[in-house]
Order: sequence, then C-alpha cells, then structure tokens
Amino acid sequence: MVKIALVSCGTEYSGIQKEIEKAALTFGAEIILPEIDLDYIEESYTKFGFSAQSSSLKLMIARAMSIVEGRCKADAVFVASCFRCAEAALVRNEVRRFLQENSRIPVVTYSFTEKTKADELFIRMEALVTTVARRSILAREKQEGLTLGIDSGSTTTKVILMENNKVIGTGWNPTKDIMESVYKGTEQAFAETDYGWDDLDGIGTTGYGRITIGKELNAELIQEELSVNAKGAVYLADKQRGEATVLDIGGMDNKVITVNNGIPDNFTMGGICAGASGRFLDMTSRRLDVDITELGPLAVSGDYRNAVLNSYCIVFGIQDLVTTLAAGGSKADVADAACHSVAQQVYEQQLQEIDIREPLIQVGGTSLITGLVEAVSTTLGGIDVIVPDYSQHIGAVGAALLVSGLGTRQEDKKA
Amino acid sequence: MVKVAIYPPNSLVLGDLIERKGHTVLALQKAMSKKVRDPEIDSPPMNITEEDPLKGLKYAAIEVPSGVRGRMAVIGPLIDEAEAAIIVDDAPIGFGCIGCARTNELTMFCLRKKDIPKLELEYPTNRDETFDFVGKINKFLDTLDGEGGN
Amino acid sequence: MSANLAISPELSKEELDPDFTTRMIILGPKANVSENEIVSQMHLLDLPITVKWTCYGAMVSGNEEDVMMAIKEIRKLDPYNIFTKSRGFPPGDPRRCRGHRYGPREGFHQMESEYRILADVGDALKNPKDVLIEKPKPVDVDELVEIVNESIEKEDSAEK
Repeated sequence: MVKIALVSCGTEYSGIQKEIEKAALTFGAEIILPEIDLDYIEESYTKFGFSAQSSSLKLMIARAMSIVEGRCKADAVFVASCFRCAEAALVRNEVRRFLQENSRIPVVTYSFTEKTKADELFIRMEALVTTVARRSILAREKQEGLTLGIDSGSTTTKVILMENNKVIGTGWNPTKDIMESVYKGTEQAFAETDYGWDDLDGIGTTGYGRITIGKELNAELIQEELSVNAKGAVYLADKQRGEATVLDIGGMDNKVITVNNGIPDNFTMGGICAGASGRFLDMTSRRLDVDITELGPLAVSGDYRNAVLNSYCIVFGIQDLVTTLAAGGSKADVADAACHSVAQQVYEQQLQEIDIREPLIQVGGTSLITGLVEAVSTTLGGIDVIVPDYSQHIGAVGAALLVSGLGTRQEDKKA
Repeated sequence: MVKVAIYPPNSLVLGDLIERKGHTVLALQKAMSKKVRDPEIDSPPMNITEEDPLKGLKYAAIEVPSGVRGRMAVIGPLIDEAEAAIIVDDAPIGFGCIGCARTNELTMFCLRKKDIPKLELEYPTNRDETFDFVGKINKFLDTLDGEGGN
Repeated sequence: MSANLAISPELSKEELDPDFTTRMIILGPKANVSENEIVSQMHLLDLPITVKWTCYGAMVSGNEEDVMMAIKEIRKLDPYNIFTKSRGFPPGDPRRCRGHRYGPREGFHQMESEYRILADVGDALKNPKDVLIEKPKPVDVDELVEIVNESIEKEDSAEK
C-alpha cells in the first residue's frame, strides 16, 4: 500500500479526518502520521526557522522534517490546513517548498473547511498515488513513436495525434455520445495525416470520460486530468523544470494547478459561478454580435475602465454591458470589461486559495481569447502569462505524451 | 466543591492539584471522553463531525477557520460551565486540541472576561518558581467555596 | 482491518456506559514506588476495574466511582509523587493506539513536557514554602550608557 504521510495542524478538529482517509483508501493508499518525540519537535522547529505560534504547526514542521531526514518512511505527503488561517497558510506553503526542495517525495497541499468531503479529495489522492506508482511515466519529457491522446471533457472532446515529439493532428468537437465524439475527433486528427488506428503505438485517455473510453479502446494509459493537464502544459510551454501554475478557465468550471518539476502539488477547481467562466464571454460575444474568436482582439483594443460594470453576475453583469452599449459605449471597451470581469472573478473565487507561482501557463479554449489572457495578467499584478501552442488541447497533448513508451502495439503485432 | 476551568485545558499538573483540593476540574479530556464514546457518532478519531464547527459558531464567527470552531465546540461548553478559572501563560507546547494558537487566544479571552474568581500565573521555569506556582494555586483553591478543600 | 488511522472502534458495553472513565496514573521522577507495585496494589484492591501497565505508570479504567476510589488508595503509597489525569479514549482504542497510528497521540507530548516539572511539584506539595521570585528587570539606562561607552573605549584603544 502507498503510504501517505499526513502533515496537518488538525484535520481531526474540522471533522474531516475520515473523509481524507476514505479518499486515500479509494486509491489504494493509507494515511500515516510520522512518529516523532518532543525533543525532536523542538529541535526541528528551531532548525526550520519559522516562528509559528500554534504548536500544531510546529508539529507539522517536525513531521515534514522527519520525512526529509528519512526517519519516517512515507511514499507521499498530504499537507493540509484550515481555509482562511493565515498562520497555517504560511507554514503550509513553506513546508511544501521544504519537502519539494529536499526530497523526491510527491506532495499535495489542501486548505479545507468542515464541508470538505472525500470526493473533493479524490483527484488529489489519485494524483498523489499516481505520482508514486508512476513516477517514471511522469518523468517523461519527450514524446516518442505515434500516440493518440484523448481528453473527454464535460463539454468538449479533444484529440491529439503526436509523432516523435510533434503534434501532427488535432480533433475537437462537442461531447455528445462519449464514444461517438471520440471517433469523430480521432477522424479529424487522422485526416491531417496518412495514419489510421492500426498505425498507433499507444492510446492515452483523460477527462471525465477517460475510463469508459479507455476500456473501449484498450488504452495503455487512463489518467486523471490533474497530472495530465499539468504535464501537458509544462511540456508545451517548455517549463518542465522548476515551478509553474496552470490556469484553465473552462466553459463551465475552472482549474488552477500548481506544478513543481512537472508534477502537480496543489489544485483548485470551481464551477459555481457562470460569471467566472468562459460562459460569460460567450454571452458577451453574442450580445456584441461578434464571433467568440474575435472577442479577444476586440478586448485588447478597448479599455475596460470606460465601461460601467457593477456586477460580476452573468445576469446583471451582462445587463450592465448592454446599458453601456445603449449609452454609446464602444464594443471594444465592453469586450475588455467582460474579460476583466471574468479574470477578477476567477481571482476572487479561486486564485486566492492557492500560492501562484510564475510563470502562469494559461490553457483551455478561453486561453485563445487574448483579451482574457491580458486581463488575467493585469489582475495578478502583471505576472508573466504563457499561452503555449495547442493550449486548447492541453489534456490530449498530456495524454499523448505520457502514453508514449507504454504503448507497444506495433511491436506486439510483429511478435 | 467548585468547577474549575483550566488553561491549558488538558494540563496534568493543574488538573491534579485541583482534584487534590476536592474541586472538580473541567478537563478537556473528560469532554472528549464523552464524545469519543458516543455510539451515535462515527467520525473517528475525535468524533468531531461537520456539525461541530457549526456549533462553534456560538464562540467564533463563520469567517473563523473550521479548526478553531471545531475545537471551540468542545472547549466552549467547559468555559460556560466554569465557576472559577486558573490560566497559565507560557505553558509548554501541547498539541491536538490545544495545538491551535488562535483557539487558545479565544479560550483565554473567554475565561478572562467571565465574572468568576480567576488566577493567572506563568508556567514555572525553575525549582523556586515551581514552589511559588504550586503555592499560589493551592492558596487560590483554598479560597474557593468553603465546602471545597480538605 | 483497514489500514487507516481513523477506524471506527468496537467499544464494549462497559466502555459505552456514560459513567465509564479512564485515568492515567503518572509517577513523578522522585517516586518511591514502581509501576509494577502500583499495578499489583490496584489488583489487590479487588475493585471491578481494569489496570494496564504503561511507560509512565499505569492506566486504570472502569466505573468512575471505582476508579476514583482506586486512585485515592493508590495515592497513599506516595502522596506527593503520584499524579493523575483523565484520558479521553478508552485503553487500547484503535483511534489513538500508538502501535496503530505509527506515532504517539498528541496528548502524550503535553504529558511528556509537564513530566519535567513533576519532581519539583512533588517537593512543593510535600514541603510548601514561600519563595521570593525576582523577575529580571531591563538594565538601567545609565548603566547601559556606561557599558556602551566602555566598549567603545575598548575598541578605540585596540585600534590604536
């Protein structure tokens, strides 16, 4: 069993300990607490150098230290503290950095509330277990052979065909019947080449539909989107070493992933407000009567400060934009205001929960809206934002990359 | 016999001294004991559930971290019940229930603002201070309610 | 059994009784009795209690009245060096058992640090005395100025 060391100041007091363990157990892992004595706590806390007032944070530091010093045999570490606790957030991030800088053990962090349930933790635990069990796969930095990556999302299905470290075909269409969308997307990808199903070395799947598709196509890799998207993003942005943040503002939900040497270590996802999603921009472009692909350049040419936008809400915010237009405001200013509104709302709702590390790699369909990318950078104080090629196909690229080396279809045929 | 709240709420020395004088110590472990042996709750290890941080709203606002409110759901009722209090500043580090500085600050404040006999003193760092510490606590306990003490 | 830490225990009927209590008997560093003696003495009391030998002394559990009676009797062996504290979890509870959790429960560290003053606490109980505690005060300003001047003078003469 994979041993996940829990480094926290009190998951038990928020009533979520059982949920954490349930999530770990689902993926064949068990939670352990590093054993330490009182002298060691004081010694390691002094060595670490963070003067925390809460003794459980000292305990947290000592537990991390015991993992780094090899006193505790752990395969992975889950670092967690209460949401909205400033003291714990500081220690949580420093402990995370300390573990990553001084060991090769994968780390995932989380800030919880009493409402945290096991299913919210599933993807984190799965990513941790994956990193442990499949470290060699995640270490892959180059794609080899001919591989197909499929990302079956809730709204769209993306397909990527790669050959010898190059993307040679792409497919993209709305997810209707899961398999039908996959076959259609794959046809699109093959259409740009002379290859067909029989030429593939391997298939990798990710996204909500990954298991169904994976079984149907006998995929060599079926992987959650956290590891795959993180890997795909740093691969395309050529940032496989060091730290980065991956931001995906989706049509329905948003993902923010922090990455260290290509391996994800924290993640936040939200989907409760349409005003913080691509949907808001979709509505705006319809109101402005421009194609969504034109919205970005239009926004870049405008100035959001000239448009009155008193609400982030998809209902009231859009009404404000209409009012601005009626009062003679320019389409460009309105487009820019919409982009800023979404960027700020994503910041309010999600980016504040996570320690943003530069560079920020923006991916997903909305990363093609240049006005939004600019607005994200402004909102984060002018941070460096990279939008790599094929950013809208990130999951599929990640899957195609990670499956290379696993697929032996052509060799099997010869044998 | 007087019910004495203590800080740290799980102190061995304070609890022992109070009981020696025949008073009742409002120890955290006793509250935990009831909780962890409640057959109706299945939220190991502490049997603190999602409901507890909500109960903690009586002592701290919703914007306060869930861990503070969850701990206050157990410590708060002890403060409510207190008829006297002994608060020790700079006590040695304790973990778990009392491992959160924010909870501890709130606990001490709630005890201090209560209109009950209180003794506040510092944790001893040497032999003389320990004699002074024990002496002051015993004298304080003797002043509480004539029925107490032995 | 699941390998998880937070497993749901199967408590006995006795442990589920609201009057059930668990007490830790802690022997101070100057105790004249051994853990062994404490445990045997407890057994001799013939009370319906469960006694367990531990690294710090003993753990006794049962009906609160019986447990407190046992503690009262056992304290007589060495009144100033036998301390007691209640424990939240029943003995051997898998939610808090050291062997199962790979580490000591959090409360143990608290006890470990308080143990360090138990010898003096025992002495203070045995022979109470009033002591004068002088808190160190910040150094007097004039004295500080004098010290600063002295060290400057020293440095100056060293440079020459």
